[in-house]
Amino acid sequence: MKKMKNAFSGLTLIKWLIIAFFALFMILPLISVFLVSFTGEPINLLGSLVDPAIFSSTVEKFQNASLDNYKQIFSNSGYADALKNSLFLAFTVTILVILICIPLAYGIARTKMPFKKTISALCTVPLIVPTFISAYAFIIMFGRAGWVTQIYNFLGGEGMLIDPYSMVGIVMVQVFFFFPYALWPLVAAFKISDVSLEEASQNLGAKSWFTFIFVTFPLAIPGVISSALLIFTVSFSDFGTPIILAPQNLNLLVVEAYREIAGFFNWGGAAILTVVMVIVAGFFFWLQHLFTKGKNYGSVSGKPKQQKLVEHKGLNTVLSIYSFIIVLVPLFAMLSVALQSVATTWGRSLLPNGYTLDHYKTIFNGSLGNITNSLVLATGALVLSVIIATFVSYFVVRQNSSSLDFMTSIPLVVPGIAFGIALIQTFNAAPLQLTGTAVLLIIAYTIRRLPYMVRSTMGSMRAIKQDIEEAAVNLGATPLTAAITIIGPLLLPGIAAGSVLVFITVIKEASVSILLAPPEWAPMSLAIFQNILRGEFYTAAAMSIVMIVIVLVLQYVAGLFTRKQQL
Amino acid sequence: MGSVKVNNLIKSFGDFTALKNIDLDIKEGEFFALLGPSGCGKTTMMRCIAGFEKPTSGKIFIGDQEVEDVPANKRNTGMVFQSYALFPHMNVFENVAYSLNIKQLNKSNPFKQASIYARLLNKRLGKTPKDIETKVMEILKYVELDQHAHRLTSELSGGQQQRVALARALVMEPAVLLMDEPLSNLDQKLRHSMRNTIRRIQQELGITTIFVTHDQEEAMSMADRVAVMDAGNIIQIGTPTDLYSNPATPFIANFVGTSNILKGTVVGEENGLYHVEGEGFSLKSTKKSTKKEVDVIIRPEHVQVVASDSIIDTADTNVIQGTVLMSTYLGSIVRYDVQVGVYQLVIDTTYSSGESIYEAGKEVKLTVAHERVLLI
Repeated sequence: MKKMKNAFSGLTLIKWLIIAFFALFMILPLISVFLVSFTGEPINLLGSLVDPAIFSSTVEKFQNASLDNYKQIFSNSGYADALKNSLFLAFTVTILVILICIPLAYGIARTKMPFKKTISALCTVPLIVPTFISAYAFIIMFGRAGWVTQIYNFLGGEGMLIDPYSMVGIVMVQVFFFFPYALWPLVAAFKISDVSLEEASQNLGAKSWFTFIFVTFPLAIPGVISSALLIFTVSFSDFGTPIILAPQNLNLLVVEAYREIAGFFNWGGAAILTVVMVIVAGFFFWLQHLFTKGKNYGSVSGKPKQQKLVEHKGLNTVLSIYSFIIVLVPLFAMLSVALQSVATTWGRSLLPNGYTLDHYKTIFNGSLGNITNSLVLATGALVLSVIIATFVSYFVVRQNSSSLDFMTSIPLVVPGIAFGIALIQTFNAAPLQLTGTAVLLIIAYTIRRLPYMVRSTMGSMRAIKQDIEEAAVNLGATPLTAAITIIGPLLLPGIAAGSVLVFITVIKEASVSILLAPPEWAPMSLAIFQNILRGEFYTAAAMSIVMIVIVLVLQYVAGLFTRKQQL
Repeated sequence: MGSVKVNNLIKSFGDFTALKNIDLDIKEGEFFALLGPSGCGKTTMMRCIAGFEKPTSGKIFIGDQEVEDVPANKRNTGMVFQSYALFPHMNVFENVAYSLNIKQLNKSNPFKQASIYARLLNKRLGKTPKDIETKVMEILKYVELDQHAHRLTSELSGGQQQRVALARALVMEPAVLLMDEPLSNLDQKLRHSMRNTIRRIQQELGITTIFVTHDQEEAMSMADRVAVMDAGNIIQIGTPTDLYSNPATPFIANFVGTSNILKGTVVGEENGLYHVEGEGFSLKSTKKSTKKEVDVIIRPEHVQVVASDSIIDTADTNVIQGTVLMSTYLGSIVRYDVQVGVYQLVIDTTYSSGESIYEAGKEVKLTVAHERVLLI
């Protein structure tokens, strides 16, 4: 009797509810989609539990299960090409990003190059822009009527400098909008190398370029490899860029999976592509994890090492100019979107033909619903993730619940499009028919962005020493009362910072929105996407700017919170 | 009500046994110290009493109540944590009032509970009841912190934080006060004055207190009784003077003050005097020994150093030949390291100005009374 009471005490009950939530909305869909990749037909695992008829049909489907779909991935040129192209894309982007970032990171970490602060600030621009907007911005710049193309033609070039609707275009967008993900780890890596080692090298007679190649760079190699693996996963999972830019004849896994599900309702095909995506992304995520584990970047955040910044004028000027070129591309892309949003028309000319605020009026008259939808959905996901993340970090930090720790990091691995397909497949039929409801959309957002929230609250939780909580219990509080009156208030800064991050990423989210959002709940990202597809570029641009402004404001608020925390 | 009894207590963490069959009997109103080196199990012992660790087996009584199955929040033990564990988001007053608010919360209806929660989360959402306020201010006055009631704990000095922690534990009128190395975060000077403060409060309130420390000076100067622990066992329980003059083992002799420990063999007994011989020495002791192979314990301050040509009455005194290795002048005392046979003895002699100090290399005689030679 005593044991029973213990097992169902408040906290334990909450823990089991959270595990059940993940099992139902994450593990079950992923398992289902894995099974569907064998059966080729949608299966209803939940239904099988409650309805004997569904159960027997599921059994029947299993009896027809085969490896046909897996054979296809090797024989069917479409799927095989998609995998090949996706890997090629991710690989190319990774190499280019690393090459581009090394001088930039070195400049920021180790030199006194002019305008370093400005450059660092501009490096955050790509992070606030959803990729499908960056892709669209590249069309404004490099498309047939784009201003870059005009300049190129004016200078005597033929056709387009770069065709945005091609593999090259996709690579360009991803390189210029994903490089910050690699930049900051690389900056950290360059800061690790101890200046005394470099001085030793110079003291032994080595020239500075020799020192860089044989001392500084090798010390940064672990950081380089880990960032490369991260970029690979990000590029491989990105949906926004390819869905806008991939031409009909270019197969990519994410696009192919989307077409199978949205166009042909080919469950078997979509499932196999999902499984392949998860395996590849999971593999590279695992590699990266393996690589960073044990490599302690703590030495960066710990005692600052003696750093001497390079003062060589010529080198610094070159680095500075180079850095500006890199960071100006995304900035120009965003300015182009801003310009288009206030243009009457913008044809084959350097600048728009006239300026107007009509597009904003159109949005606020016709599409206000999308904005409120985005805000409502993001708030829903926010509330849900605050509740879950707070308890999860409590269980992970205080009770060493490794199962919850593992579960909350799975969403980092699963590409959005794959997760969306898994959810649609599972909740398509009774008893839990949620596909096409705002509820499933909010749950999808929550699970997808929970890792950010958990990371943030877990940091705060680790800072709260165990004895503070024990003191409360010692003074007579039950664990639940202690959690409410002591842990809760102390976690607040972490929760606030994580909340803003969740809110922003949910507003930016493309893949899940496009797959799961019902028409009456269409968020801004879906509206922009549809506008671009319909060719309504001016309203798309205005809506993009509204979204970016919302993100910027929130980021500013988040900045206030984190600054407060540091004080 | 306030006595603590521990019977056959065992606590294991996996393969590691932190407490091996502990028995304790702490009387009501006693100031009891658990003394031992780090990792000896003293903190685990205290945490078992507080209810933060569940014993693997054995019984714990607080007063007449058996408490192994009573959750930590219902044991009514006031604990002062090593880090103080003050709630950083509450001011001094709120920290001290916490237990009283919780007490009220636990006997309220759900509606009232909600308002108490609101008050605890934000002081603007409700006023602390008068009786709680009076009680808190009373105890704050007692620890001389009433002036600082509305300051954040982070704005206080270490000693003040310590007193907040003490007040917070005392205000709930606990059956036992538990203190886990409460002085280790204070500087030397403050530590001395806090020792006196804690001892005074304990005496005035007559509250049963268990005090965990690794500092023998702290334990010896404050406690009524001390339990010396090592590797999960209690080796000796006794009053400070007991422990010092009759240590049960060489470990305690060494842990409770400095000791010279020599290996010897009892070779005979004559008129109540035991003859002990070892490598390079031969001593007589009035202490009884049942064993043949013994540890000979001599405290540094029980030995005198005299010139090698001095004539000494050996009726009740041992005389040993030695060579000074080093002499260190420490103000009121001089510490000698003296080679005797294979042993290096440490000797503290009181020093008054004008006396000569024996230099290194000097042959000297050491004298030690028969009754000061301990055999264990």
